[in-house]
Amino acid sequence: MGPVMNRTLRRRLAHTLDLPAAVLLDQATIHLMGDAEARIVNHRGLVQYTSLCIKARSLQGMIELTGEDLEIVSFSSSEMKIAGRIRQVVLK
Amino acid sequence: MTSYGWMWWQGYVTVRLRGPGLERLLNKIADLDIGLHKVERLTADVIIIRLRVRDFRRLRPLLRGTRINVSILDKHGAAFLIRKFRLRAFFAVGLVASVLLILYLGNFLWFIEVTGLETLPLEALKMAAEELGLRAGTAKCQIQPRAVEAGLMKRFPSLVWADVRLNGVKAEIRLGEGDGLQSEYGTSGQIYAKKDGLVTEIRALRGTPQVREGATVRQGDLLIAGVYSDARGQKQFGAAQGIVKARVWYEGVGETALLRWEPIPTGRNHTQYVLSIGPITIPLGRSYARDSHLVEGKDWNLYLGRAMVPIRWTRLEYQEVERVSIRVADQEAERAAYALAWESLMAQGVSREAVLEERHRTDLIIDGDGLRVTVQVEVQEDIGLFLSQ
Repeated sequence: MGPVMNRTLRRRLAHTLDLPAAVLLDQATIHLMGDAEARIVNHRGLVQYTSLCIKARSLQGMIELTGEDLEIVSFSSSEMKIAGRIRQVVLK
Repeated sequence: MTSYGWMWWQGYVTVRLRGPGLERLLNKIADLDIGLHKVERLTADVIIIRLRVRDFRRLRPLLRGTRINVSILDKHGAAFLIRKFRLRAFFAVGLVASVLLILYLGNFLWFIEVTGLETLPLEALKMAAEELGLRAGTAKCQIQPRAVEAGLMKRFPSLVWADVRLNGVKAEIRLGEGDGLQSEYGTSGQIYAKKDGLVTEIRALRGTPQVREGATVRQGDLLIAGVYSDARGQKQFGAAQGIVKARVWYEGVGETALLRWEPIPTGRNHTQYVLSIGPITIPLGRSYARDSHLVEGKDWNLYLGRAMVPIRWTRLEYQEVERVSIRVADQEAERAAYALAWESLMAQGVSREAVLEERHRTDLIIDGDGLRVTVQVEVQEDIGLFLSQ
């Protein structure tokens, strides 16, 4: 079974069983707390890190956070917590 | 416990990574299931990370073949503290003992602060508070603020209100004094001279003036009698009210020596430390005679929250000196004596702005080889003192 087929099956299963898609499909989840904190779950690696821009890979594409005084508070293989003044979140 | 607290307990290091491709390295570290905290980007090629001590060793294989330089900037956490304390066992014991001592001493009252006093003497009030059980060194549980308040109100009738609060190791006594004059005006009485003077102005708001402008009065003379005629012309006896201004004389004396002993440093310096715990003072090291040394001190007070814990660490710097006698110029000595005479006048309540006329005289003290300056000033002030009958 190919990866596309596998993903389609998982999506159908999630839809049928009314389960959160993020759990079955490994989709990246972005939590924002005002403009001061963001948490990215299920990222696939850090691409760029500066105080003005943080880019991370995900299955859906590139997640780009821009702002001022950005800092990674904690970093692990699945989760990343960012603090600072977040101005924009883009999924490319 | 938060993840940061857990990391502190296990011990963590602050590490600087310098080189190209740092994001790639961070991903590789994360793939090894190593958690990173507070990742700071300093410059384009420098990142600061914080990770557990045991994870630091796992970085080595990742760095092979890269041009990234790694250095530990700092070590934190309980693991390092314990290691340090193992090396300094007595220090650790002393630290624990100090904390226990501080906690124990925090159960006692060490400072008493009085605010709101206007006419009542501070010392009398403090003595009364001590007699009522509010004294430094008393256990806080034995102090009854309401009883102290009631006691103070009873002992000092001029108090309108009293509030005693315990704030940490400090007791705050806040007081409010009533305007005694107004309450006295409610009764009958007369106005007398509180000091000698030459009357310049008399304004009787109620009562009969007993002196005229230009008259010289002595302390205790009656100035305004409480007898007056009411609206119907009937004679009444009540509280005299009014202002009696007079020219009053004050005298202040200041003396200075014509020889001054100047300290010349010999170059020998000593240091002494003093530990003060509440009323107990423990000198650590030898102390030196103050007449042959200049002493400078620096204090460090230990604070616990808002309340000050009574522990003070003092460093005393002794500078050995030899005293050499130097002849003081007459003019300089006269200036100093004049300043002292004025200090004496100000202690009597005279302000420079109120002075109408000033005279001063300089005399040589033959025995003491010094100068004496006598300053006499004339001021205008209200000399009336209401005394109830």
